[in-house]
Amino acid sequence: MQVAWAIYKKELKVYFVSPLAYVFLGVFLLLAGAFFYLGVTMTGEASLRVMLGNLAIALLFLLPLLTMRHFAEERRAGTFELMMTAPVPLWAMLLGKWGATWTLCVALLAGTALFPAILAYYGEPDWGVIATSYLGLLLVCGAFVSAGMFSSSLTDEPVAAGMVGVVLLLPFWIAGTLAELVDAAWLRATLRHASFLTHIEPFSRGVVDTAALAWFGLFTFAFLFLTWRSIESRRWR
Amino acid sequence: MISARQLTKRFGPLTAVDRVTFEVEKGEILGFIGPNGAGKTTTMRMLTGFIPATEGSAVVAGHDVFEAPMEVRRRVGYLPETPPLYRELTIGDYLRFVAEIRGISHGDRLRRVGQVMEQVGLSGWEGRILGSLSKGYRQRVGLAQAIIHDPPVLILDEPTSGLDPGQVAGMRDFVQHLAQDRTVILSTHILPEVELICRRAVIIAGGKVVADDSIDGLRRHAGGGLRYRVELKDADLDAIPSLVGALPEVEQVTPRGVDDGFTLLDVRAPADPRTAIARLATTRGWTLRAMERHVPSLEEAFLAIVGAER
Repeated sequence: MQVAWAIYKKELKVYFVSPLAYVFLGVFLLLAGAFFYLGVTMTGEASLRVMLGNLAIALLFLLPLLTMRHFAEERRAGTFELMMTAPVPLWAMLLGKWGATWTLCVALLAGTALFPAILAYYGEPDWGVIATSYLGLLLVCGAFVSAGMFSSSLTDEPVAAGMVGVVLLLPFWIAGTLAELVDAAWLRATLRHASFLTHIEPFSRGVVDTAALAWFGLFTFAFLFLTWRSIESRRWR
Repeated sequence: MISARQLTKRFGPLTAVDRVTFEVEKGEILGFIGPNGAGKTTTMRMLTGFIPATEGSAVVAGHDVFEAPMEVRRRVGYLPETPPLYRELTIGDYLRFVAEIRGISHGDRLRRVGQVMEQVGLSGWEGRILGSLSKGYRQRVGLAQAIIHDPPVLILDEPTSGLDPGQVAGMRDFVQHLAQDRTVILSTHILPEVELICRRAVIIAGGKVVADDSIDGLRRHAGGGLRYRVELKDADLDAIPSLVGALPEVEQVTPRGVDDGFTLLDVRAPADPRTAIARLATTRGWTLRAMERHVPSLEEAFLAIVGAER
């Protein structure tokens, strides 16, 4: 556990000494501001529904940028050899890296706290709904970080890893749109279930849905497991 | 301390390392030499547990590499060919991180980091960003990383590659100093280095061990025994080679020309023939100007051994 903690701290340090985290934070807040403005002016509601929904989609494209270096860069720089010849269990590496990127996501979302504050000044937002919406978004982040780590374990090229990450996540977005286009009920239900938008929807209504919690939990663990398998199998080749 | 038994690594159809077997005794510095692509790095990666072997086994510091990898990892310090550095971190942050994943307790960490930085000559460089360092300094940080947990076994993959001559000498002294109470495998293709600091070497070519002997043994082995250079002068120059060649101690004589009236001979002999030649010169009334034993360098031995394998 101490090792996972050491890796967690190191990963966060690497984020914050490079310009990446700051550029990322800037872009993210800019998008959040735009979505917030559009959401409030279009619906006239004192809610973050539009902003948070759109941010989830933006994260699909942005988060792989944060995870792409995790294993690809370690391999390229040879530091993977350092980790795998030091008494570092692979799970500690996965946990440390996942935790660090997820913590960065928490910081990004904390940066959007300004918007509910604005809502509170001008209107009467439903704090319960805002809290569950943020919870939903944090779950989305956890899931996407996990998938991004898997894509990073597949290649030595960080940029390729980033692109693979986006391609990997896209189906979980467009499945929801596809669902509206098909006739077969079973297929429609399946596609709907595959889409992460289906599962954050209850959170945006203020409902903490256990089925949705399970979906995000399963998604996150499944990709962490695949990452672990992918790294192990590459060692044997 | 280190024992490789029939280590084999196949990458698809390619056999990179083929039944490599050798032992390294406690306190020994073993030179691990071979041409590029011979399988040195792959062998070392198997010994450190970085990659699993296709066949065979290895015991390092009393633990089986494949059955108790974590025990081995704790006891081995490893400097890969390219120092494994996080470009964004400072030297201090990096070494503190390595100390932490190496399980050095919080209280000891700062002290250990300070110690190794001083040992490798990095004092005062704590705040430097790794990405901005020159090759020599990267190598030093790599070495600091490998010894931070004071491991009984050190595996160094070409620690002097890319260093300038002064740095090479410094690294050599340091490795020698480290080896006083450690077991070291030193992979390199700079052979004079091996001659200076190793007593034994394993030569690997095409994935196979082609020689495993003391440095002296390797030299003797190369080129079929020792050679002697003899310079003699007499009125009848032509008679000298055949008369020297007739001595029972001498195996073969090759004339190498004439210099200032002296005939130069290359004498090959299994045992030292110099007293016999001197006696012959006295009896015959020849002038003897020089007689010296030529010991083949490790480089000659290496080329002879590796060349014979090809």
